[in-house]
Amino acid sequence: MGAVWLAWERGRPARSGKRRQLRQERRAGRPRSQYHSPVTQLVHYVLVYGVSLIFINVLLEQLGAPVPAVPALIVAGALSRDGKLSSTNILLAALAASLIADYMWFLLGRRYGYRILRTLCRISLSPDSCVRDTEARFERWGLKSLLIAKFIPGFSTVAPPLAGASGSSSIAFLIYDGIGAMVWAGSAVAAGRAFHHAIDRLLSALENLGGWALVVIASLLVILIAVKWAQRIHFLKKMRLARIQPAELKEMFDRGEFPVVLDVRTAGARKHNPRAIPNAILAHMDDVATQLGHLPPHQEVVLYCT
Amino acid sequence: MLIDKGYTKVRPLAGGLDGWIDAGYPADIIDLA
Repeated sequence: MGAVWLAWERGRPARSGKRRQLRQERRAGRPRSQYHSPVTQLVHYVLVYGVSLIFINVLLEQLGAPVPAVPALIVAGALSRDGKLSSTNILLAALAASLIADYMWFLLGRRYGYRILRTLCRISLSPDSCVRDTEARFERWGLKSLLIAKFIPGFSTVAPPLAGASGSSSIAFLIYDGIGAMVWAGSAVAAGRAFHHAIDRLLSALENLGGWALVVIASLLVILIAVKWAQRIHFLKKMRLARIQPAELKEMFDRGEFPVVLDVRTAGARKHNPRAIPNAILAHMDDVATQLGHLPPHQEVVLYCT
Repeated sequence: MLIDKGYTKVRPLAGGLDGWIDAGYPADIIDLA
């Protein structure tokens, strides 16, 4: 972190002489001091407001906003290596933010059940993380899944409401979620500390780009969100085209046509809502093809989950 | 998965079970035992 930190220290004008130094630089036709480089300013803000920034960043990410917190945790870890920030404070801020956001989702899950998962998936930028996959994962591992949830894209936000919907106790949830948050934030901070030279070089390179550094970072973020959004639109369009509406299925029943209806919900979801569409076959997604082995391939099949 | 096995007419139900129940259509109680 040395180079960027030193640049900030070197370029930082004394508070009383700040305007004078800027005037002299302007008169001499020299570029403004490095203190005004956006990256140096960014480092300055991270140094001054580091713990608060980490708290807000982690809170927003855990609430579901597309603002990844890992890069900030890594940079903060690198800064902590040089003693500019306290690793303990960074970890405590990340832990507090995670627990606040996750417990909020947990309570919503407990209050609204599996419906909150559908809302989450609707706003999620990761269409691949569907409710069923997440449920299956949670059912397999239980609360222990919270230990690694933050390392799995999509699962991180969905796991807490799922824990709430499945009736887990608050204390057990907070213990597992807290350990998971510490492992996740600790890994990022440790990576920052281990690779602080490389991070310093990256920040220096960005600093050399001047104002363009922010343009590059903002562009990468916009591209990432745009790609995710396009994938989501494509996925939803495909699903909309392929789906059957409840009214259409009911009309089929009324006409005397009976497609094979498969209930592919997880055991937990069935326990939570022990109802099913009349004559539906309770199936497991993993071996559904085996269960249907006796049916001709042209047979109409309708499947549903939560 | 089903389509890979040769089933050509496979459609998910829009809205899932909740969509069916919200539309006011009948549902059976399943025996979990």
